[in-house]
Amino acid sequence: MSSVETVPLAPAAEKLRERFARSPLSERVAVVDLDLPTLEVAPADWPAVARFLRDDSECAYDLFLDLAGVDNAKRRGRPTRFEAVYHLHSLPRSEHVRVKVILPDTAEPRLPSVVDVWPAANWFEREAFDLYGFDFPGHPNLRRILVHDAFVGHPLRKDYSPGQRWFFAEEDLRMPSWATHTEERAGHFETQTLSIGPSHPATHGIVHLVARLDGERIKRAETQIGYMHRCFEKMAETHTWNQVIPFCDRLNYVSAMINGVGYVKTVEKMLGIEVPDRGRLVRTILSEFSRIMDHCVDIGANLVDIGALTNFWYLYQPREGIYGLLEACCGARLTVSYVRVGGLAIDVPEDFVPRCRALLESIPKFLNDVDRLVTRNRIVRNRLAGTGVITKEQAIAWGLTGPVLRSTGVAYDVRRSRPYDFYDRFDWDVPVATDGDNYARYLVRMEEMRQSLSIIRQALDVFPESGPVSSDDWHVVLPPKDAVYHDMESLIFHFKLIMEGIRVPAGERYDWIEGANGELGFYAISDGGAGPYRVKVRPPCFPMMAAYEKIIIGGTISDAIATLGTLNIIAGELER
Amino acid sequence: MSGIVDVSIKQPRKLTFAERLYLPEIVKGMGVTIRHLLRNIVSIRNLPTILYPEKRRDYSDRFRGKHILTTRDDGTLKCVACYMCAEACPAECITIVAGEHPKIAYEKYPVVFDIDMLRCVFCGFCVDACPKDALWMTRNYEMAFFNREEAIFGIDKLIAKPGLPVKDGMGYRPYYPGDGTRPPGDASSSPVIPGDGEREKWREKGIDLHHTEGPGPLNRSLDGSGREQAAAPQHPMAKS
Repeated sequence: MSSVETVPLAPAAEKLRERFARSPLSERVAVVDLDLPTLEVAPADWPAVARFLRDDSECAYDLFLDLAGVDNAKRRGRPTRFEAVYHLHSLPRSEHVRVKVILPDTAEPRLPSVVDVWPAANWFEREAFDLYGFDFPGHPNLRRILVHDAFVGHPLRKDYSPGQRWFFAEEDLRMPSWATHTEERAGHFETQTLSIGPSHPATHGIVHLVARLDGERIKRAETQIGYMHRCFEKMAETHTWNQVIPFCDRLNYVSAMINGVGYVKTVEKMLGIEVPDRGRLVRTILSEFSRIMDHCVDIGANLVDIGALTNFWYLYQPREGIYGLLEACCGARLTVSYVRVGGLAIDVPEDFVPRCRALLESIPKFLNDVDRLVTRNRIVRNRLAGTGVITKEQAIAWGLTGPVLRSTGVAYDVRRSRPYDFYDRFDWDVPVATDGDNYARYLVRMEEMRQSLSIIRQALDVFPESGPVSSDDWHVVLPPKDAVYHDMESLIFHFKLIMEGIRVPAGERYDWIEGANGELGFYAISDGGAGPYRVKVRPPCFPMMAAYEKIIIGGTISDAIATLGTLNIIAGELER
Repeated sequence: MSGIVDVSIKQPRKLTFAERLYLPEIVKGMGVTIRHLLRNIVSIRNLPTILYPEKRRDYSDRFRGKHILTTRDDGTLKCVACYMCAEACPAECITIVAGEHPKIAYEKYPVVFDIDMLRCVFCGFCVDACPKDALWMTRNYEMAFFNREEAIFGIDKLIAKPGLPVKDGMGYRPYYPGDGTRPPGDASSSPVIPGDGEREKWREKGIDLHHTEGPGPLNRSLDGSGREQAAAPQHPMAKS
């Protein structure tokens, strides 16, 4: 493939094209300009391009974000049926890039593995193998990950009929090959294989950890996931754009609001519509409250796991208050479904600002209580400090984002690096820590809650008393009910929106926000039809869970439990 | 100033002598828990927990619970079986079978209106979709079933009972008092259309008010004989 010379590109893409033009790979990469600078490469060139993208000082795409398979069988305008779409981020240059590996039309789509370039690619490649049947030669452990081993076919291919059922029996469960035999060495006690989960109280969700123990120390571990796979992405393809919103709540169900905001922001950008300031402020305020809730649950549950029950009660009280606020706004505590493409389902209640202010008053008291109980407590210190250590280099290589990455000293926060809504107008700090252990993650989360409170306080100060919360584009947003009842034209808009859904122009978009656990990205493709052609979530938990089996090596089982807690794995988001 | 704050600096790794002694920290922690204990004893009304089911949580009037089918003044369903709620439903839990209402002003009504409460995700999209103000939600969240069949709520379980209070009160709805929305006109209080409600009487006379105007395949009689109907009866709405 040769680069297209004539089309003018945006500065970022132009810079990338110039960089490639000066490289030995110039003839093998095409740079196109979509919402992100996008490279198109052939599978054979992909490892070389990947290495160049990571190592070249002008590229330096060191953070692997996402790999999305795409099946173009029902979409026009693409050269071949399958594409593997990578999203990468450069921490030094704070830029995203997209790479499309165009797979030739063969019976078995195949592309080289890039696990040796970005170790984070490991599970993402397994997922693409699982859901699309892509073969990755060079992958160390290419087997199914989200669907079970008795499953036949690749569910996200367009020719896979979603009505099929495959039954999984206990004998179909595949343990890792190393776990089925014992190891004995001369002059050494035999090792032992311990299976924790799938449903174990400390896994907070359904995660299966198989660990090989040498005495008390974990020598080798492997996690098996997929017990909560709900085919979010397949369901999104069979529903309209708005109907996906309730499913988004079930991704990270501890901070459900943030997922919906991330999803609708992506769709709004594809549509090119603007949400009124008041609506965006409500989203910001409730997202930050959700972040506080997420961190409360994480710290509370983590401390329960290591034996400190009281904090759980103190941290669940602010959560209860926030749930009450969310319920007053939208009618549900957890599965909020509050956002809509173009705005919000309904305006906030009259007492929204006083309620928020009352919460701002009460939450710090509980945080201070936990601070007093935990932060300088020697027992907690001994359990958390120095366990589950992740270095900065490891965190980047494993594709970690969010509080876990920040606890290793990398100040990457989407709200700062690419401010959306009003985050650039508020005065707040990105908390970082340097040690990268469980204790550092605890400290980062505690400070993040305080920063979120500060953001909410500033947002409330500028919150307009009245005004629209949704766009008035009636091709996207339902007209007001009064108009629907009494005005024929509005009724027609209403009818068309319900029966046909929003028409999103054909195209693709990757949009990302700072979820409670890290970068939450939505890669959406539209073919101009009534619903999404493809939606891929970039779940922040997924690379964390992939790294988990490496982080816990050398520690004890009790450290592993504490580490699982501070990584904050949310199975709903992990397995979608 | 917006910047970066290093939290590890605030919390030095090295514990002080007092902290290493365990006891001062434990006493400090006990202080926190005893304060909470005393506060809970003194103001027992403000306990964070609720003695369910004697006491209920006070939900807002936006709560999305069990659905309710609203009725006109004369007790008939407002629903006109337009299928918009079923179409908007992301969980595909609403089943509607439309029928022709004997009263002409009402046109259509749902013969079957089932909501599968086990499939329902209580997102409220059906309420947003309804153009006739026929579907609301209540604050009733206590639904338990012994089997799946029981979980499919038909009209008998969903209809608003005139004169009876709604369990736990109304929840999510298309409009709220004071937001300026004028509810759609109630067809039961609208002027009576001549001949309205007379359809059954016409049927008894052997005349179907359907498909009575103009020629066409639909106006053939349904006995399969292919004969044209003898005389097209005059439509009650038509001016003679």
